Amino acid sequence: MTLAYVPRRVAVAVLQILGVAVAVFALSALLPGDTAVVILGKHGTPEQIEALRQRLGLDEPFVRRLLTWFGGLAHGDLGTSLLTGAPVTAELADGLATTAVLTGVALAVIVPLALLIGVTTGLRQGSRLDRAVNSVIVVLDSIPEFALGLLLVALFSLRLGWLPATAAGLSGTSLATHPAVLVLPVVVLVCKQLCALARQIRIGVAEANTAEYTRHVRTHGLRESTVLFKHVLPNAAGPSVQQLARTVDGLLGGVVVVEALFALPGLGSGFVDAVMARDLPTVQGYALVFAGTTVTVNLLADIAAYRLVPRHRSAS
Amino acid sequence: MNRSRHRFPITPIGWLLLLVPVLTAFLGPLVAGSTRSEGGSLSPPGPEHPLGTDELGRDVLALALSGGTSIVTMAAAALLLSYLIGVPIALVIAGGRRRWADRLVLRLLDFLLALPGLLVLLVLAATGWRGTTTLVLAIATLQLPAVVRIARTAALSPGTSTAVESMLMQGEGRARIRLGYLGRSVLGPVLVDAASRLSLVLYLMASANFLGLGLASSATDWAVLIELNRDALFIQPWAVTVPALLLVSLCTGVNLVVDRSLSNRRTVRR
Repeated sequence: MTLAYVPRRVAVAVLQILGVAVAVFALSALLPGDTAVVILGKHGTPEQIEALRQRLGLDEPFVRRLLTWFGGLAHGDLGTSLLTGAPVTAELADGLATTAVLTGVALAVIVPLALLIGVTTGLRQGSRLDRAVNSVIVVLDSIPEFALGLLLVALFSLRLGWLPATAAGLSGTSLATHPAVLVLPVVVLVCKQLCALARQIRIGVAEANTAEYTRHVRTHGLRESTVLFKHVLPNAAGPSVQQLARTVDGLLGGVVVVEALFALPGLGSGFVDAVMARDLPTVQGYALVFAGTTVTVNLLADIAAYRLVPRHRSAS
Repeated sequence: MNRSRHRFPITPIGWLLLLVPVLTAFLGPLVAGSTRSEGGSLSPPGPEHPLGTDELGRDVLALALSGGTSIVTMAAAALLLSYLIGVPIALVIAGGRRRWADRLVLRLLDFLLALPGLLVLLVLAATGWRGTTTLVLAIATLQLPAVVRIARTAALSPGTSTAVESMLMQGEGRARIRLGYLGRSVLGPVLVDAASRLSLVLYLMASANFLGLGLASSATDWAVLIELNRDALFIQPWAVTVPALLLVSLCTGVNLVVDRSLSNRRTVRR
């Protein structure tokens, strides 16, 4: 059963990525006034625009351009940036390092914290602690990252002078040697993404904790810790793992704002820059990376959840 | 009863956080002074400008008072639009005889559901689709999958389907049943969903305006003001912190009030 599920799920994932790639390509084909006009600006003569269109291959029909792009993709070539002239893949690799550091550190904080909050409040559902923690989390969840980030900068960098306001000049691994720079961006990311995961774990734990089978296990006199680790947590894991996938995905989406805010040269700020410059080959490359990570993360979560939940394990 | 006396007054705090920015958004423009560029740029608070001036030399107090209308209106428009389109779709596919249509629409919408909102807005902007109308339409579209799912589930609930069957047997027309009876029965769940969706829409709208995907950079909007003045945070912090606080207050207020009223609802039902 698992064998049939995994290949089918992988096939869907591949189709989703291809779908996004075609959609982004189609959107740029519908662009009013094309890339050549964007590059030359308002001052380009019609002859210059026509020459550039030919050089960029924009005069060819849509389907052929799409096929050329997919052909390059098969060889790991995503074209060259219109802005810098560098290969898009090189730019993506640079950004990926910074974003990976940021997302990794944020996850290293979020996962244990969400587990701690989710399990403690889930076991004491309805208690005063539960309600207080819930309200705090609800508040944190709704704040847009940019507003929270700027207020934190105003407080901790401007008023108190404890932490640097931006990470200008640092990227990738050099970030790891300046941990102070990472504090504010990571705090903002954690505030935004902690809520959904902690809530999901809390609901899962509370449900499994009060379920019929758990009560049954308890009547057999098992130790409370055994009940928690062998019965409550595994049953709460399925939906929580899927929420974790959405958290990772949300981190990437949130990174767009946080990186722009703190001048971190990652995927997010690179994407925003490419968008502002209408550098379409680069935008397409970024969109492909974001779609790829979204789909992969969800794929892994689906498979993990499938294997984790005891019900499925015993069925196969 | 006894417990509630010791409880932290979350609901009043939520209402306070919500009402301050909402009243500012709607009544503020009436009392705000001129938002035209007058004094020097980035001057500190003084007798003439209580909160100083911004990057473009405009009075920060007047800007803060008149900058809330756009975000509240745009968020409300996007939310309303998503229900005006989503609920009829849900009623048609839920009440229809064609099962394949139901499944096809759901599959198509599932694809939309997987897309991260802010990234979609950025790709749209990169390909030339930016501006207020696009933003409202795009954010409404991004809400569609969830809206359709919720309204469809409500319309298909066991109690409803029995009632629909008996109405069909009494010879009522399908269109009448769908819009009349089903429409009324999904109203409750839809309103609950709308309340919790509001904070998501507010968040997307503010972030999009901050990234410059919607309103023009000269607009008087809290998010736009934050973006415009953020480089001057260390020179004239009021120009950034005042709109940021109002925006944060709006988002947290909405979320707190909705969360409290939903959990009260659940307790009452139980």
